[in-house]
Amino acid sequence: MARIELKNLRKDWGEAVAVTGLDLSIEDGAFVAVLGPSGCGKTTTLLLLAGIYSPSAGEIAFDGARVNDVEARDRNIGIVFQSYALYPNMNVLQNVMFPLRFKHVEPAEAERRAREIAALVRIDPLLERRPSQLSGGQQQRVALARALVKQPHLLLLDEPLSNLDASLRLSMRTEIRRIQRELGVTTILVTHDQIEATTMADRIVVMNAGRIEQEGTAEDLYERPETLFVASFIGSPPINLFDGHAESGAIKIHQGAMALATPVNGPVVLGIRPESLTVNGSGMPARIVAVEPMGREVLYTAESALGIIRFLEAGPDARHAEDDNIALSFSPDDGLLFDKTSGRRLDARVAA
Amino acid sequence: MATADTLAKPPAPALNWQTLAHSGKRRRSVSQSTLLAFLVIVSLPIILPYFWMVVISFTARTGGISTDVLWTACAVIVPAVLLYSVIHASLPSPRLRLVAGAVLLAIACALLIALIGDRLHFDNYRFLWRANVVEEIRSKATAGGQFPSVWTAFRNSLVLALSQTVIIITVASLAGYYISRFAFRGREAFLQGMLVLHAFPAMTLIIPIFLILYWVGLLDTIVGVMLVLATIELPFYVFVMKGFFDSVPWDIEMSAMTDGATRRQAFRLVVLPQVRVGLIAVSVFAFIRAWEEYIFVRTFLIENKNWVMSLYLFWVADDIMGVDYGIVAAVSVFYVLPSLLLYVFCQKYLTQMTIGGIKG
Amino acid sequence: MTSFATAQIRRRRANFGLFLGPTAILLLLFFIAPVIVDVGVAFTDMGRTLSVSSFTLENFERMLTRDSRLLASLGITAIFVITTLCIFNVGFALLLALVTTSVSARVGAFFRAIWLLPRMSPSVVYALLWLWVVDPNERGLLNQIVVHVLGLPPIDLRNNHPLVLVILANGFIGASLGMLIFTSAIRSIPEHLFHAARADGAGSLAIVRHIVLPALRWPISYMTIHQTLSLLVTFEYILLITAGGPFYDTTVFSLFAYRRAFENGQYAYGAALSLVLVIIGVVAALAMWRLMNMKELLQPPRIEVH
Repeated sequence: MARIELKNLRKDWGEAVAVTGLDLSIEDGAFVAVLGPSGCGKTTTLLLLAGIYSPSAGEIAFDGARVNDVEARDRNIGIVFQSYALYPNMNVLQNVMFPLRFKHVEPAEAERRAREIAALVRIDPLLERRPSQLSGGQQQRVALARALVKQPHLLLLDEPLSNLDASLRLSMRTEIRRIQRELGVTTILVTHDQIEATTMADRIVVMNAGRIEQEGTAEDLYERPETLFVASFIGSPPINLFDGHAESGAIKIHQGAMALATPVNGPVVLGIRPESLTVNGSGMPARIVAVEPMGREVLYTAESALGIIRFLEAGPDARHAEDDNIALSFSPDDGLLFDKTSGRRLDARVAA
Repeated sequence: MATADTLAKPPAPALNWQTLAHSGKRRRSVSQSTLLAFLVIVSLPIILPYFWMVVISFTARTGGISTDVLWTACAVIVPAVLLYSVIHASLPSPRLRLVAGAVLLAIACALLIALIGDRLHFDNYRFLWRANVVEEIRSKATAGGQFPSVWTAFRNSLVLALSQTVIIITVASLAGYYISRFAFRGREAFLQGMLVLHAFPAMTLIIPIFLILYWVGLLDTIVGVMLVLATIELPFYVFVMKGFFDSVPWDIEMSAMTDGATRRQAFRLVVLPQVRVGLIAVSVFAFIRAWEEYIFVRTFLIENKNWVMSLYLFWVADDIMGVDYGIVAAVSVFYVLPSLLLYVFCQKYLTQMTIGGIKG
Repeated sequence: MTSFATAQIRRRRANFGLFLGPTAILLLLFFIAPVIVDVGVAFTDMGRTLSVSSFTLENFERMLTRDSRLLASLGITAIFVITTLCIFNVGFALLLALVTTSVSARVGAFFRAIWLLPRMSPSVVYALLWLWVVDPNERGLLNQIVVHVLGLPPIDLRNNHPLVLVILANGFIGASLGMLIFTSAIRSIPEHLFHAARADGAGSLAIVRHIVLPALRWPISYMTIHQTLSLLVTFEYILLITAGGPFYDTTVFSLFAYRRAFENGQYAYGAALSLVLVIIGVVAALAMWRLMNMKELLQPPRIEVH
């Protein structure tokens, strides 16, 4: 098990910068998710940790010791690739036993350990099969077993659930969580799916365009997003965002205006989550233009003075119809203000 | 049921990251340098002779071959290359590398000129403007008969190579397109036949082909050689063109046909332009192949009235090689140049050719 | 039938002739016909006059009983083919492919381009270069190294070890094709397998053994058969460098047939000898065809109108 630290890490290929300015600290035994859209550099970060890529600048440390120059094969890391990367010319048992060859483990002992981990991951009936004879979920568990059999310091998972169908995804989520808790191995999971991140990991690191946007618990990210990107990436359906201009204690947005409790000047963005809006008699007037029943909730799209706004109501039946006129209100705490140029959240509130 | 107890214990003591870092660095540099050294050493037997040939063509006078100019030149070039690779590895910015490289180049050129500049001359290339070079040296040409001007041979080689290429491009494209796109009885059999023919070594048929050419009266003609050359490689090229046609999307043809074109028009106007890369690749390859052809021209052109470059070089070498290496080297350089230029500039086209997944 | 249908049929036939015709004619004339002619002439007594006066089995009888040089030639052929194949065409090709894919991409491409140079240069030039390299007096490049670096007397490869010379010359050319094929196969191994192996602790040799070589099994077997066949029938470089000599010391079987026909004027005998090669060629070609996956190569056509 190891404590992982990234200090000002950068990886570029000439002009193309994959990641830059990465500063991160991960405690021993933690389960961290790196969340971000495709191309944000999360897989690069993973491969930097594994030693497959060498950093262009900055430092990676395990337990305080610099490991930039330690080769991939010496880092004792288990990694599960998105494609599983199972060796096609070996059967499942040989695949799982493979890492133990290089730790100079006796074949008999290696086989015993492989079978043990296979039982833990529940692939014991499949040991004689070849990878091409396995389903996606089975291949993934074999990859997991192979990563764990060497008792790694660090477990890295690259989009482990993205190739699985919905029901399998659900069960594997719990499986991986269970295994991680039992073994206590420091784990980093890379994904673009926020549900995966929030349900599996203790802490989430949000990345965008090669940089870390914010790091914290799911709750931190949801309630106190530090940047526009985090606010719009976390939360489904996505947050309502309104461009506006603030001066003299009020924001002008589209055709409306709102008073500010804290003085701010300059271009700003106001964010209100759909779930924070309620329909009552005395709020902002709006006219419904679309009604989408989504089972547990109903998503409404409405036109208001602020612009197009979306809000949710508990379902399954829609209480309003298109062209209805309603009034929307929200608590001032739920109004997030961001500086438009930097994207950073402002410590300001709208007035009640 | 396995429990996690046996697995959960971390390996103790923790890994010594520092020793691992050191051994990692060492391993990497050792392996990279050994691989590089190996490549350089095994490639020397190829680079040296070609360079030597160029050197000889510019320095040799009547007499035997010598290597002093070669080694002098190497003594300047090799350290220069080594120095540059060190510079390249240690300087980070591309502009600095360029400047350093240019300076190094200037110094190397100056050194070369100082050391061997006086030995350089164009005399060996006089065969380009004097046709009787061989006769001048040996007072008469023996083995090769009456030598023509090198430009006659050059022209004939050009005609041979170009016409053969045109034949191949046309025939292979037509056949490749048809096999790729049309359903016809025997389609599979035809393709299998092509495959078998491609794998079959045509060289074994040189004797009967000689006889056939004799019987149809094409022996000792460039046309005969041209047709034979085109046919020998045809199965391969049909395969390659078929591969290129396979990758053209059906939609393009379909929309051309709904726009009113017949299959043939669709082929000519819409599909053919799409396989431009394939056409270029096949042309270059076929041209280079015909340019270098020796055995068929030697066997099928029996009287020395049809000269091509390969025969010209062969007979010049045969006649005067013991006496004047310089001219032979110069002719070689002249002969190699077109192939080399084509190869270097069209490399990216050549690597596109595939045959069912095997690139060549 | 409607006029559209008849026009369709007519056009289909026309297309068949237009597109496939030229190929079929050329192949028939210069590929298929020669095979038949070879079979025929092998049973005649055709000599320098290129005329046939009788049909006879004499050629085969001579092959099997009376030609002493033939046996020697077979031995030479065996040594030549096996040595060149193992050391260069497959062995060195594999080594080159492995090494050039283990260094940076541009460096690897550079060295592969160098190794393709012999194949891309005209055969006459290549042969000349070899002759100069192995020049028997001190000035040949090889002897420069032998004399000045190794301190030995100069060697005359062409007269004393002609088979070695011929193997080397053909080997350098032969290695380049295998190198290309194997490189392409190595490059098509998914990168993730290499990453996974490195993370699993495998060093470079282990990666070669467990990841690369298993993926190369098919290309290696295909190349072995293909190159064996190629080496059996090729004699161009041998002809240029040693002319099959001294005497018949480097005359492989294919060159033997050529020399009997064109140097001694015994065309029928040459045809008979070639026939052996033709048969071997056909058998090997069929074997290789079996190895390739036909289904992959044929897409069903999707437009039915002509």
